[in-house]
Amino acid sequence: MTGLIRNPWVVVAAYNEAPVVGTVVSGIRRAGYAVVVVDDGSGDRTGDVALLAGAVVVRHPINLGQGAALQTGIEYALEQRADALVTFDADGQHSPAAIAALLAAIEQPGIDFALGSRFLTGATANLPVSRRILLSAALWFTRASTGLPVTDTHNGLRAMTARGARAISLRQNRMAHASEILHQIAQSRLRFVEVPVNIEYSAYSLGKGQRITDALTILIDLFARRLYR
Amino acid sequence: MIAQLLLTAFLALVLVYAWSAHRTVPIIGLLAGGAALAGLYFVWVPEHATALAAFAGIGRGSDLIVYTWVVISLLIMLNLHIKLRLQLDMITRLARAVAIDRAKDMLGRKAEAPPIELQAKK
Repeated sequence: MTGLIRNPWVVVAAYNEAPVVGTVVSGIRRAGYAVVVVDDGSGDRTGDVALLAGAVVVRHPINLGQGAALQTGIEYALEQRADALVTFDADGQHSPAAIAALLAAIEQPGIDFALGSRFLTGATANLPVSRRILLSAALWFTRASTGLPVTDTHNGLRAMTARGARAISLRQNRMAHASEILHQIAQSRLRFVEVPVNIEYSAYSLGKGQRITDALTILIDLFARRLYR
Repeated sequence: MIAQLLLTAFLALVLVYAWSAHRTVPIIGLLAGGAALAGLYFVWVPEHATALAAFAGIGRGSDLIVYTWVVISLLIMLNLHIKLRLQLDMITRLARAVAIDRAKDMLGRKAEAPPIELQAKK
């Protein structure tokens, strides 16, 4: 960092991630960042584990979904006067080392969003073929519907300035929030850059990831959202 | 004549429903209103319903009215679905406010509490 960002917060949405969330939070804390973990109504000890690892924990009383949890974390971080926010997955597939690169990207003048991309440098490990096909279809849909020339979509690793975060208001509670963010970035006309990031797929993170059937649910959610104010 | 009056009463209720739905879900209000008006027209000018049904290949005008009714029912179901989503929206905001307030309260209590060593000495 060049010093323009003074109070960055990392937002982690977590649901039943007790086996890994402690390691994830410790890694981010060791890298020197404040972390808010939004425990999305977990049935296990996710919130307690995150708290012990050094995170601020905001607990949803009921399970609402990853999109809702991220919005909660964003609002909490903004209340703590965060001047930059990074969204980070709880399942251990992101590297804390990527946070500095994302923050450096939004320190450039006029840039409000830095979106992690798995495909800029082929920065993926163990990405299964079925997941690659699903992501390609999602990418095509996102490019067609937002007009944004992104190379990756549904990547949970992104950074935004406080101004960018205030322009985002997620109302897609579940998985469609990743497309919704890109739609809102396009509508806000704020500038973004993509930053190559490594995603380390493990058996654990693949077990938690989206399936092909989820794509239909996401499409229905996005369509239904357009019907009401 | 009795059937015509009953259908008119039902369709008038649908029009009122469409008007109220229009405020929150404009597209549903518009479609349900349009379908109800078309239904009213066909109820009172059945020969046009028959002509349109023949043109559309449905067969009888009464079938067309039934189909119109089915469309209205589906639109009402879609509206209910959207209303459930709006309710979830409100629940989400409420749960978020509760979660953030609790987290701030907990941090506030931590900041106010004396260090553990001091508590032990007391």
